[in-house]
Amino acid sequence: MTWLNIVIQGALVGGFYALFACGLSLMFGVMKVINLAHGDVAVVAGYTAVFLAPKFGVSPLWSFVVVVPVFALLGYVVQRTLIQKSIDRDPFTTLLVTFGLSVLIENLLLEVYTANGQSINIGSLIGSSFQLSSTIYISYVSLVVLGVAVAVLGALQIFLGHTKTGRLIRAVSDDREAAQLSGANYRHIFGIAAGIAFATVALAGIAYGMTTEFAPSSGVTNLIYAFEAVVVGGIGSLWGTLVGGIAIGIAQQLGEHINPEYQVLAGNLLFLVVLAVRPNGLFGKKTAPS
Amino acid sequence: MNQETGASQIPESIPGWGSLEFSRRMGLKALGVAAAAGGAGALSQSAASYAASGSNVIKIGYVTPQTGALASFAGPDNYVLKLVKASQYFAKGIKVGATTYKIQIIVADSQSSPTTAAQVTTQLIQAQGVDIIVTSSAPETTVPVSTVCEQAGIPCVSTVCPWEAWYVGLGGTLSATGAAQSGAFKYCTTFFFGVPEFVNCFLPMWNRVQKQTHAAKIYAGMFPNDADGNAFRAAFPPIVAAETKNAWKFIDGGAYQDLSTNYTSMIQTFKSGGAEFFVNAPLPPDFNTFWKQASQQQWRPKLATVAKVMLFPTDVYALGSLSNNVATDAWWTPYAPYKSSLTGMTAKQFAIGYQQFTGQQWVQSMGSTYSLFEVVIEALKKVKNPHDRSAVANALHHVNYTGISGPMNFNAKTSPAPGVAIIPPVGIQWKPGSKANVGGKVWPWSPYVVDNTLNKQVPLTGVLRPTNK
Repeated sequence: MTWLNIVIQGALVGGFYALFACGLSLMFGVMKVINLAHGDVAVVAGYTAVFLAPKFGVSPLWSFVVVVPVFALLGYVVQRTLIQKSIDRDPFTTLLVTFGLSVLIENLLLEVYTANGQSINIGSLIGSSFQLSSTIYISYVSLVVLGVAVAVLGALQIFLGHTKTGRLIRAVSDDREAAQLSGANYRHIFGIAAGIAFATVALAGIAYGMTTEFAPSSGVTNLIYAFEAVVVGGIGSLWGTLVGGIAIGIAQQLGEHINPEYQVLAGNLLFLVVLAVRPNGLFGKKTAPS
Repeated sequence: MNQETGASQIPESIPGWGSLEFSRRMGLKALGVAAAAGGAGALSQSAASYAASGSNVIKIGYVTPQTGALASFAGPDNYVLKLVKASQYFAKGIKVGATTYKIQIIVADSQSSPTTAAQVTTQLIQAQGVDIIVTSSAPETTVPVSTVCEQAGIPCVSTVCPWEAWYVGLGGTLSATGAAQSGAFKYCTTFFFGVPEFVNCFLPMWNRVQKQTHAAKIYAGMFPNDADGNAFRAAFPPIVAAETKNAWKFIDGGAYQDLSTNYTSMIQTFKSGGAEFFVNAPLPPDFNTFWKQASQQQWRPKLATVAKVMLFPTDVYALGSLSNNVATDAWWTPYAPYKSSLTGMTAKQFAIGYQQFTGQQWVQSMGSTYSLFEVVIEALKKVKNPHDRSAVANALHHVNYTGISGPMNFNAKTSPAPGVAIIPPVGIQWKPGSKANVGGKVWPWSPYVVDNTLNKQVPLTGVLRPTNK
């Protein structure tokens, strides 16, 4: 029963990691951009839900209704302006630019909202759960987050495979020049991909804000797990990201069960093992470097 | 509390107090910074000659974490400094001997980083030629600042840091039971309390709730693998065992990493062990995560007494309704019958003024920050030359007065170490706000004094209730 609980609780946390990592995976898969400000965008989404959503009369629980579309738009704009400019120079510049963006966001938040911890308060719902067996309790919020992660990744998979825009994204991702020759406006496509990435990480930021307390500097903490989820799952595979996230979650849970000291370590170990044994990740495409 | 805590492997040179080795090294690191900034030789002792010893200005440096992770401690800085500067000694000067000296306060931000704290302290000493340095808020600030001051021969007063961490940080050693063993510091003093006071603040509340509920005398400890967590793990259970003749059983949740995402395994340990009481010393976001998960896993201890978190209203607001009846310690409240030794302002007026000035609820660090300046004035009253570092330091070691934080004696028989004044904390519980509280404004959550075992002068303002029925 203990083992079952480890798998269940690990999978629930993993769902959050996957949701958090999904945008990172998409932006790397499509634009080859490693967005170092990814975690900070999530934190900004948390602050938006706490401070701005109430101004529109939206309750914290439903804040995503406002926050997600705003962040989709924001993603498009940031991509078309800042990130595109750096892609045009060279790939290394994108690292510097997104790192700078991360520092900038953190300090702006500190200036505006101080270092005080914030949380998206959804009342007693956060503490509620249902009982599966005598020792296994499942939190409603965590279960919903896992459900959202699966739904978002599933929807994205369908979107990429079965819609015109989705096919364009994949075309641009596979061969930008060829897609351009066929008339695709790759900058617009990049913008859409970034919009989706920002929207999903905004969702993750709201989930994070509900389950814990965040401060301007909280973005970095989860970025590491998100990276690991993407790498373990395999770059470019969305289902891989889900599996990667859950695998990291279960590994951490197992580590914590053995000794609370090993929680973080166990996730990192899994990441290293996968990197050593299968550098392309569990579901990564074995493509030749472009 | 910072990344170095988790990263450094701590040698167990003092049995049971291994973590404090960390804070000692933090002090050594501070010295390294000081040396790099200006050469330790130039800094040590001879710094005294640097200051304009003939000038009519006494310069006080105040090192405080105005930005970064510890910034909530520094929240009342602006208000406190405004009041202090308006008080007579600071506005009109202080007469020492035949001369009237003006007092100037220079504030420096430690950015919540031990390295920066040491750097700004060095700058205050070398570039500004300060006569005295005061500092507040956590070992990350007070230890490096005090270390630089002790080395440079600048009188220093610090607060809001368990005295053990400060003492070991400066190079002192503790016995296995946590008593000061060796080490006396010429220039540095501190006022706060230590692990024994935490025990004696929390234990009476456990006993009362235990009598009400007839719960098992088993308590759970959530202590992370960092300086504060390891110090608590080392000292808290032995003191409880000694004081209760082993009546209370301890369940250790394990030395988890700061900022972990999941605590369900630890909660399972507490549950299966039958723990009914809870004590901790975590980072604020970790308690937030833990407490939500404890509720999800339906572990509902009869009483939670937390340390290091829930000190300020922001943590409490962030946790929302799960904060109800969570207990912690308070080293200052507006309910105590204490007055400013500078102006005679009462604790109550002080808190009401803060709420009017900032529009926010009073916080307990305002009292300790204010007292830093009271203590300095008390010392200056006793010296013949305020630029005489040794005399000022000696006077600081003998300050014995009553101010906004209550009676404080740096040379008491009961002091755990020379230059350490103990201000005993009271037990508080967070409950929904009420008009009856100070200022008459209803805040979503307010702290109520529910146990005054350690300081009977502070009246009770609420009834101790179990955190969970």
